[in-house]
Amino acid sequence: MNTGPYSEPTVADFLNGQFVPVRTEVFWDNPTDPMRRFGIQWTPTFLVHDPEGAEHHRFVGYVPTDDLLAHLGLGRAKILYDTGRHGEAIPLFEAVLSRHPAAGAAPEAAFLRGVSGFKSTHDPKELRKTHDLLVARYPDSEWARRAEPYSAIPL
Amino acid sequence: MQAIRWETDFVSALGKAKVSGLPIFQDFWFDG
Repeated sequence: MNTGPYSEPTVADFLNGQFVPVRTEVFWDNPTDPMRRFGIQWTPTFLVHDPEGAEHHRFVGYVPTDDLLAHLGLGRAKILYDTGRHGEAIPLFEAVLSRHPAAGAAPEAAFLRGVSGFKSTHDPKELRKTHDLLVARYPDSEWARRAEPYSAIPL
Repeated sequence: MQAIRWETDFVSALGKAKVSGLPIFQDFWFDG
């Protein structure tokens, strides 16, 4: 990651401006307290915590720049989603979709955007539209399959 | 270009997050 995404100005700017970034070294022969606390079994492992330290998003393994930025955006959105601030979460999910449509995290962002849309409006059409979007853009994703029950909701 | 301003201690990062209201991005890495 040091010579890849972390060397990209867009990543540095996003991390410096939107997060408190912390690197925690792993020692397999002498596991540290943070390794035990967060159950780290492989590197790299990336966590997004809220300002109180609660974990809201995790991903494991090297990710290129576009995927990393999408995960960072998704992590920020999930902090709001997990705490019921759905109206605030929606624009952050939509930012992931518009800025990183080909990223691996995009289908999850689309699914959770739909849930936040429903939770903030109580309109089931939000879920049907989410199903249709996932089938159109990410038909092979697990998130499209998770949205299948919403296909029966009339528009 | 600015380099990433990494913290190296989670407790210190948590203190900065509480003051700033920013979330924490934590990278567990192995210098193998």
